[in-house]
Parts: sequence; structure tokens; C-alpha cells
Amino acid sequence: MIGKILKKFDDRFLKSEPRTGDLFAVAALFDTPDQIIHAAEKVSSSGYKKFDVLTPYPVHGMDDAMALKQSKIGWVALLAGMSGTSLAFLMIWWMVGVNYPNIFGGKPFFNLPASIPIMFELTVLISALTLVGSLIAIFMKLPNNANPIMDTEFVKRVTSDKFGIYIEAADAKFKLEEVRAMFEELGSFSVSNIHEAVYDLGDTKNPLLSNKFVGAIVVTSLVTVGITYFVLNVLLFLPPFDWMHYQPRVDPQTESKFFKDGFGMRRPVEGTVARGFMPYEFKGMPDSMVVATPNPLPVTQKVLDLGKKRFDTYCSPCHGYYGKGDSRLRGQFPVPPSLHSVKVTNWKDANIYHVITNGQNTMPSYASSISRDDRWAIIHYLRVLQRSQNALDSDLVGK
Amino acid sequence: MSLDATYTRELPLVEGKTSFKEIDDVIAKPTETKPNIKWFIAIGISSTALLIGAVCLGLTFWYGVGLWGNNQPVGWAFDIINFVFWIGIGHAGTLISAILFLFRQKWRTGIARFAEGMTIFAVMTAGIFPAIHTGRPWLDGYLFPYPNQHSLWVNFTSPLLWDVFAVSTYFTVSFVFWFIGLIPDFATLRDRTTSGIKKAIYTALSLGWRGSNRHWQHYERVYLILAGLSTPLVLSVHTIVSFDFAVSVIPGWHTTIFPPYFVAGAIFSGFGMVSTVLIIVRKVFDMEHIITVNTLEKMNKILLATGTMVGYAYAMEFFIAWYSGNPIEQFTFINRAFGPYSWAYWIMFSCNVFFPQLFWFKKIRRNIPITFVLVLLVNVGMWFERYVIIVTSLTRDYLPSSWGMYFPTMYDFGILLGSFGMFFTLVLLFAKTMPVVAMSEIKAVTEGAQPTHKHKHE
Amino acid sequence: MDYIKKQLPDSLTKTGGIMLVMGILILIMAFIFTPQRAFFDYLWIYLFMVSIAVGSLALVALEYLVGATWSTPFRRISEIFASMIPVLVILAIPLFFGIHDLFHWSHAEVVEHDAVLTAKSPYLNVEFFTARTFFCLLIWIMFFFLITRNSQKQDEDGDVKYTKRNITLSTIFAPLFIVTITIAAIDWAMSLEPHWFSTIFGVYYFAGTVIAALAATTFASVKLKEGGYLDSALGNDSFYSLGTLMFAFNIFWAYIAFSQFILIWYADLPEETFWLIHRWDGSWKFVSLSLLFFHFIIPFLILVGRNAKTNLQLLKVMAPWMLAAHALDLYWLIFPTLFVGNASFGWQELSFPLVVIGLSMVVFKMSANKKNLMAVKDPKMQAGLDFHL
Repeated sequence: MIGKILKKFDDRFLKSEPRTGDLFAVAALFDTPDQIIHAAEKVSSSGYKKFDVLTPYPVHGMDDAMALKQSKIGWVALLAGMSGTSLAFLMIWWMVGVNYPNIFGGKPFFNLPASIPIMFELTVLISALTLVGSLIAIFMKLPNNANPIMDTEFVKRVTSDKFGIYIEAADAKFKLEEVRAMFEELGSFSVSNIHEAVYDLGDTKNPLLSNKFVGAIVVTSLVTVGITYFVLNVLLFLPPFDWMHYQPRVDPQTESKFFKDGFGMRRPVEGTVARGFMPYEFKGMPDSMVVATPNPLPVTQKVLDLGKKRFDTYCSPCHGYYGKGDSRLRGQFPVPPSLHSVKVTNWKDANIYHVITNGQNTMPSYASSISRDDRWAIIHYLRVLQRSQNALDSDLVGK
Repeated sequence: MSLDATYTRELPLVEGKTSFKEIDDVIAKPTETKPNIKWFIAIGISSTALLIGAVCLGLTFWYGVGLWGNNQPVGWAFDIINFVFWIGIGHAGTLISAILFLFRQKWRTGIARFAEGMTIFAVMTAGIFPAIHTGRPWLDGYLFPYPNQHSLWVNFTSPLLWDVFAVSTYFTVSFVFWFIGLIPDFATLRDRTTSGIKKAIYTALSLGWRGSNRHWQHYERVYLILAGLSTPLVLSVHTIVSFDFAVSVIPGWHTTIFPPYFVAGAIFSGFGMVSTVLIIVRKVFDMEHIITVNTLEKMNKILLATGTMVGYAYAMEFFIAWYSGNPIEQFTFINRAFGPYSWAYWIMFSCNVFFPQLFWFKKIRRNIPITFVLVLLVNVGMWFERYVIIVTSLTRDYLPSSWGMYFPTMYDFGILLGSFGMFFTLVLLFAKTMPVVAMSEIKAVTEGAQPTHKHKHE
Repeated sequence: MDYIKKQLPDSLTKTGGIMLVMGILILIMAFIFTPQRAFFDYLWIYLFMVSIAVGSLALVALEYLVGATWSTPFRRISEIFASMIPVLVILAIPLFFGIHDLFHWSHAEVVEHDAVLTAKSPYLNVEFFTARTFFCLLIWIMFFFLITRNSQKQDEDGDVKYTKRNITLSTIFAPLFIVTITIAAIDWAMSLEPHWFSTIFGVYYFAGTVIAALAATTFASVKLKEGGYLDSALGNDSFYSLGTLMFAFNIFWAYIAFSQFILIWYADLPEETFWLIHRWDGSWKFVSLSLLFFHFIIPFLILVGRNAKTNLQLLKVMAPWMLAAHALDLYWLIFPTLFVGNASFGWQELSFPLVVIGLSMVVFKMSANKKNLMAVKDPKMQAGLDFHL
């Protein structure tokens, strides 16, 4: 199998048949760098334009000998580099300065010092890539394997150890015999004619329409699309391997076989006091033992709003929105007492607080549901209710 | 060889009178013959190491980075140490191919290609570490300013992002530089080979290069400009790596000498690694007269110079820590030298500063076995330099209550081993499949390769 | 090679002498009216001369070390600039009279009440400071005499052994140079603000000295070449390397400066940042910005092209430009301690250009009288002259 494939490659790439096409050029090989410099000077001074010197390495002074103009490729690097700098500057400035400003480390949104490293890197990157791209594609016009001198004995020597020169048949001054004579006179040890290769194109007239070519294009584009889709829509959204979700643990509100009582949730040990929490000192004591302390909260709109909110949430279901005992749950519970009774009206704030915290008769303790400040706020609000629900006619006198 | 000869004219780079054809034969030989048993043993070892690293890495992906020894307070450990180490190794290649090229040091020719190849492999190896230490490497695409659904851009103020740009730029430019240098050699191989499949590959890679002087003209200019671009680039990369540490306020990290100090250290470690590999390669592939003792001696001189620069930086850090009058800064450095990690510090100091001083002696510079031992020590020392910088500063920072020790796990060591495996596997494959010495460049500097322009004077 | 020694014109001594005398007169006036400011001006002049002289010696050593060929024709000119080093010893004496005007840490009563300065006092005290200064001067003057003597002797018989000796000397000098230039930078420039510290400071000053030395050598070489004092075979290509090195070290300087700036700016620690804030207060802002443009950006853009570095007319402009830029750099380092809040340039500061230019001209002429302007019998001279790109 492998042998067959290799054989196919050998047939395709190593077979060389005598070229039958038109004459492309006359080529000559030389032994020493001095000879090739001399030959190049002679050819260029004789007025040939379409000629080329091929050497295994750059030979000093050849540009002058061939009368070549200085390479202008440096400008490409300069221009590309400058656009790289400005591009990086604009990118960073727009992204973090305009589009989504964000403070990092107390620095300004867009700051030049921290942008310089990336500006520099992009300068080099864009400059180098443009330079090399334009070198290959524009200045050297590569890849070009169709040049007729490829695969000849001539090119095989000049990429290794000899120095070659050729003059194209298309040159205006080209005369086969003259050129050959000139090369021999210059001391070439081998002068050869290079012919164009003739390719058998088969039935397909236009190589762009061949099945292989079209197929390759389609496959390439499908693969590209697939990879792009995978990266942008799958890979970047892949969840991590979240093993921590599956570690042994007891979830809240579930059964546990480990404990005798079967509850997963545990009660704190008797007498545990939460950090930063002072237990209510009159817990479980009768009302009469309460030492009255004043309401610690000021009477402000804010406190009253809070009190109303909490009252409506926690108290109103039984006591009613106005504290009149008109419960929404009337009939399902023993009717709760009105909060406008003389007893409640005359109670000190601390007594009401005691009832909320401790509970009374059927009313359970709200200590765990309503925070301390909220309880005091509710009491303020209750006082407001008491005053407003029992308003006197004299209150209506305008000021 | 006496100094008189070296002084008045440059030493021949290729020893003996070698014809171009012979140069081609020697350099192309590994690509054209079946490798010997030594090569198979070497690649067996390196690919085993690579496999071990891959397994450790796979387990890390599966279970998460909790497998590593990183934990509070040492959140950066082997991953970043290895990253900085390998990036440092990568600096020698560009230095040799770009900076020495600009300085017209012709002795670089014999080793430039190899060093460039090592740069690319070292940067590839280094690139793995920041990618994996994110914990979810498949999300690393977000490291680039890609317009995503969160409409949030990357943090351009973070030196870690600068690293992303620096390392990817460095890799791309080094790769392009390397490939440009390889084109003429691919053409040579294309025209030599007797195998159809190789011919197909080399034809594609050589882009139809034919050695035309109309091409050489632009090519040489581009090579020069690329060298000019690579030189500040190579400095910038390790500078930005040093910014990762130095822009912070951690004592022992925040010090202004870090950029040049890291660059000198990178060149030092890179030359150490290049020497290590070259000494082996010239033996395995019989290239003693292309990679000559003279070249190795010059590399040893550079090792001496950069090692001393690193020593200067160590001394400066210590002096300024004292001079600053800042007790925390002072403590950090005393802790480095005499604290729980003093063993690492003294390994670092002796391997990087003390032992390279032996290169003052010409006898030692030209002695291959001793050189080999010393460059191995340089590799060890430079790995420990990063260990010292990263681990000692993190284990003991401002708040004594948050101090802690760092203990690597077997996965850390496995991945470190794997990184060496990957690097050497790539190096060995490269040595087998591509010309390890730039044929076209070495031909250009052999004796009699350039015209004498005699006829002009006649 | 067709080099024949020609004496430099006497007008050099005359013009230089007049400028020097005028500069000294201004300095004396300044001493009378504003003594502290005069000492700062003097320090500025002194550090600039150190940059050129010691930088030139380092350049010579560097060229020996790396075995450069192209630099051989220029080496003697660097050596002549280095012959300012013996003068530096005499010039150092007035500095010691100014210690109390220049250096905050030299006041015992200040140090006593300052914990940081007390902690530094084992290093920052007058006796040790004097000892270090003389140590640095001793090293420089010793290697100056040793290296130039060998180079001089080679002019007679062209023996390679002198080169060998100089290579050895340069090898020893290189690390000593780094140490001494760091000490010089820390002592004379960094300790002006004794609370401030930066590990890169020695490297920063080193970069500046090499630029100054290269610029001086380039300027003198171009001028001498135009005047026909050098070998006619010395072509424009040989100057390319000088220009390139100047360009490269300028980038290196910018790199070091940027590294120092960004690390301090980014970490924003009060014990470091104040130094930069002093250089951003009031009109110092414009000095800082002009340093950026004048020292780095404009020379970078001008010298980036290949042709710029072989253009002698351009180099003749850019070399003094870089010298001026280095002077600005030193001004930026030294004067914010004196002119807190706003930069200032008064008649006292005119002494700087007058003394520096005058003294350089006089010393150059006196030193060049006795020597060849090129190392005529250096074995590498022919290769250096033949240098082509």
C-alpha cells in the first residue's frame, strides 16, 4: 500500500522526459564566482534585458554586475510597521477607552505607557508579515514551479555548487548562435538549451474546472468552516470538568442515613451563641419582668417606610393592615386581638418588642424572621397606626 | 591556534578546504539516509518523556489544576517557572540569527539554523504553560481581543496580556525568519533527492526557488530587515515576561533592573541550551568541522559575559534592597539567601555566576567535555533562578500570617519532564528532516566563495 | 594606506581656550552669587565629561573585546577623547567642596532625624563617598594609561603583542568599568535624591555614556575626515557602523528608560514615584517630554534608514544632536533636586556648553599633538579601511 503510494509520487515527480516545447532560454554554467561576475557584466553590458544569474548563495557585487536597481522593499517594512503601530494604538484606545471603559489598577481607562508593549509587538508583527508576504508574492513572484528552468540539470547544479546564467529567447536581442558563442567564450563548461515543457491536460480544457481542483476547494472550505464553527461556538463555551459538583456532601432539606434522627440538617449544640449576636435577655419570661428600654430607632420617614413594609409582610396576615384584628385568615384561626386596645396602646415599646420576640398565646416568636431593627421599626409604625386609626375630630382642624 | 592568526584574519568557519558539493553532502546526509541506532534511542527516550508529560497533562485537564502543588500563597509555581525557563531558552536562537547577524559575526553561520529551530521549539514548549495554567485551556481564545458575546475586551493594562501578544508575535516572526532562511536549502534538497515523496514535499516548501539573483537581491535585504526587527523583538519578549513580575508590588519582584536582567538571563540560558544540544548533534551527525571548536569557544565567551551580567543583576538587587532602607525588601533578599529555600538560591548562584567564571580560562573554553558539564549546570541554574524568584517571593510576602511553603507534586514533575520530552523530540525530528546548518549561508562564507573582483583592478 | 600626520590647526586651542575661560568666568560669577546652583552646574559639567571620557575608554575596550575590524581606524579618536580622564581627577576636587551644597545626606543633623537616611549612612557618608570616587578615578586612569600606552607603542613597530595585551586589559577593564560606572551613577546622580532608589540606574547612565562617547567619536571623525586629517581610504561605509551603533544604543537607552519608568509608574509605590513626580511638576513636564522626543523619537526616525547612517553630512548633525540630548538627559537627572517645581535655565547654566566644548577642544588638541590620529601600524588597520557593507 505505502509502496504503491510512493511509486505514484516517484512517477509524478521524478520522471523527466525530453522537453518538446519551444526554446525558453540558453543557459550556461560556470565554476567560479569571478567567472560569473564577469559573465553577468558582459551580458548586461551587451544590452540583454531578459536574463538572470542563478547562484547557490548571494555573490557580493552581483547587483552592480547585473546593473540591478536597489531593492525598494525596505519601504514596505517601514509603511507596514507604521500602520501596525497606529492600528494597535487605535485598537486599544477604542476598545478600552471608548467601547468598554474599565478601571484597572487605578490607571486611566486608556493609558499610553501600558499600551506601548502591545503597540510595539503589533508593529513588529505586521511589519514582518507584510514584508515577508510581499517579498514572496510581489518581489520574487513565488511560488512559481512552472518556470521552464525548474527540474533541469542546469537548476540542479546552481542550487548546489555551480554558478549559472541564462538569457531568455524572448529577449529582443536574442540570437541562439550568438548567445551560445558568447557563453563559451566567457569560459562556461556547459552551455545548454532549455525548452518549455508541454503538459498533457487531458480532456479538461480549463484546469480550474477539473474535479480534483474543485473538490479540493470544497473540502478546504468545509474544513475551515467546521473548524471556525467549532472554535467559536463550541470550544469557547465548553464547561469545565466540574467534579466539584459531585463530591460527597449532604444537601439541605434532605435525609441523611448517617445521623440517628435521619435529618441531614443539624441543630447547633445547646447553648450555642452565634458570633456577634447578643441573645434576647428576657427570652421566655413573662411580660411583667421586662425592663423597659426605649425604642433605639429615630422616627423618620425611612424607618416608618421600613416598619410598614415589615408590618404588612409579617403582622398584617393576622392583625390586618390597620392592626384592627381583621385578619385575612379570619375563620381559620382564633381571631387575633386588635392592636388598638387600651392595653396595647398603653404598652411601652419594650413590651410590644417582647411579644414580637417571644410570642404570646397562639402567636409564635418572630425572633428568627424579623431582625431586631425591623422589630423596632414595626413598633414605630404600629404607633403611627394607633394614632391614625384613632384620630379625633380635633385633629382635623387646619393649621 | 595562536592569537596572531585569529587577530589579523578571521578563522575559516569551515575547517579544511571543503567543496560546495561536500558541504551539501554532509548537511543533507541526515535527511537522506536512515537514522542510526543512536538516533532511535534518543528519540525513544525523549518521546517517552513526552508521553509521561502528556499523561500528567491529560489528568490535569480531567481533574483540574488541583493536582498540582500550587496553593495559597504560592499560586504561581512550576507552570510559570517552566514558561519563563523555556521562553528564555528560545532567546538564543534569535540572538544568534539576528543580533550576531547585525554585528556581522560570521561564526554564527554554522549554528544559526539549529539555534533558530530550537527557538521555535522552545517557544512552542513555553507556550503550553500559560495556556494550561489558566485551568481551562480550551477557553484561551478569550485571551485575544475577539469581539465576543460579553462585549467585554481583554485587559490591555495587564502584563499577562502583553505576554500573549509578545509570545505569539515572537513565535510568528521567528517562524517566518526561520522559514525564509530555509527556502534556498529546501531548493537544494529538492534538486538532490531521489525520492518522489520527498521531492513533492521539498518542491512545495521551496516555493520554486531557483537561486535567481533578482531574488537574492530582495531576499538579502529582507533578511537584514527581519534581523533588525527581531532584535528589539527578542529583547521585548523577555522584558514583558519580566514585567509580569516587576509591575507588581511583591517584594523581590518589583525592582527596576528586572527587564535587562531577565534578557541577559534568557540569553545566558539559551546559549547554555544551544551549546548542550550542539555538542551532542555535532557528534551524532559527524559535523565537527562545520560546528567547530572555535564556534563553541565563542559561545562560551558569550556565556561568560551574560553570566557575569546576571551576577551584576543579583548584586544590584541585593545592594539596592539594602540601600532602599525598606525592611520588607531587605528581608526578602536575606530570606532568599538564608531562608528555607536557600538551597535553591545557592544552586542558582553557583551554577549561574560561579561556575561560568571557569570560562575565563582558554583551556576550559576549548575543552568539550568540561564545557558540556558547565552548560548543563547553566541549564540547571537558570531553571532554579526562576524557581527562586517565583517561589521565595510568594511563600513569604508582607504578612507573616499568610506565609506558607510550596511542595510540588508528581504531576508538576511529570509535566516538567514532558516539556523536555517535547522539546527534544521536536529537535530530533528537525535534525532528521531538515538541513540543520544553513547550506546557502555556509557556502557564502567558505574560502574562495566570494569574487575577488580582480579583473576590475587589472 | 596614505595617512600622514598633520597637526590640527591652532585655532582649536584658541577658540576652545576662549570658550573655556568664558565658561569658567561664568562659573566663578555663579559661585559668588548662587553658590549652590553653581555646584549643580559644575556637577552637570563633570558628569558630562565623565560620560565622554570614560565612555570613550569603554568603547575602546569593547572594540578590543569583540575583535571589531571596522572600528580600528576610529580607535585613536576615542582614545584621544579618553585622555580627558587625567583631567577628571583634578576636576573632581571642587566637587568635594560642594558636597554639602549638592548632597542632602551629607548633613549630619538631617540624617539624624531621618530613619531612612540613618539606615543608609554606612554607604552615604562623606568619607566613604570620597574613597569610592577616588577608587573609580583610579581604575579609569590606570586602565587609560595602560591601554593607550600599548596602543601608542604599536604605532612604532606594529607588534601584535600590544594588541594581545590590550585584549587582556580590556577583559579585566570590562567588569571593573561596569562596577565603577554604577558607583558613579549611584553616588553622583542617584544620591542627589537620597531617598530614591532604582536598581536599573547604573545601566541607565551606562547607556548614556556610550551614546555620548559614540557621538563624540563620530563627530570628531567626520570633521577630521573632511579636513583631510584621516586616511583617504576611509570610506562612508566605515561610518555606517558608528551610526548604527549610535542608533542601537539610543534604542537601548530608550528601552532602559522606559523599563524604569513603566515599572515605577505601574506599581505606584510612594517611595519611588516621587522621583518621577518631581520630573513632572510644572515646567519639568516639558523637559521630560522633550527628553523623550529629543533624545529618542526624532533621532530614531532620522537614523532608522540605511542611507542615513552612511550620510556624513547627516551624521555631522546627528552626533552633536545626541551629545546635546545626553546633556539634556543629565540635566533631567540632576536639576529637579535643585529647581523643585519648575525647570530653570539661567545665565549660570551657560557655563555648561562653554566649559564642555572649550575643554574638549583644548584637551583634544593637546592630546592629538603628540599622537597619530590613526593607529597606523595596527595589524587590523588595512582590514578596517577595506571595510565595505
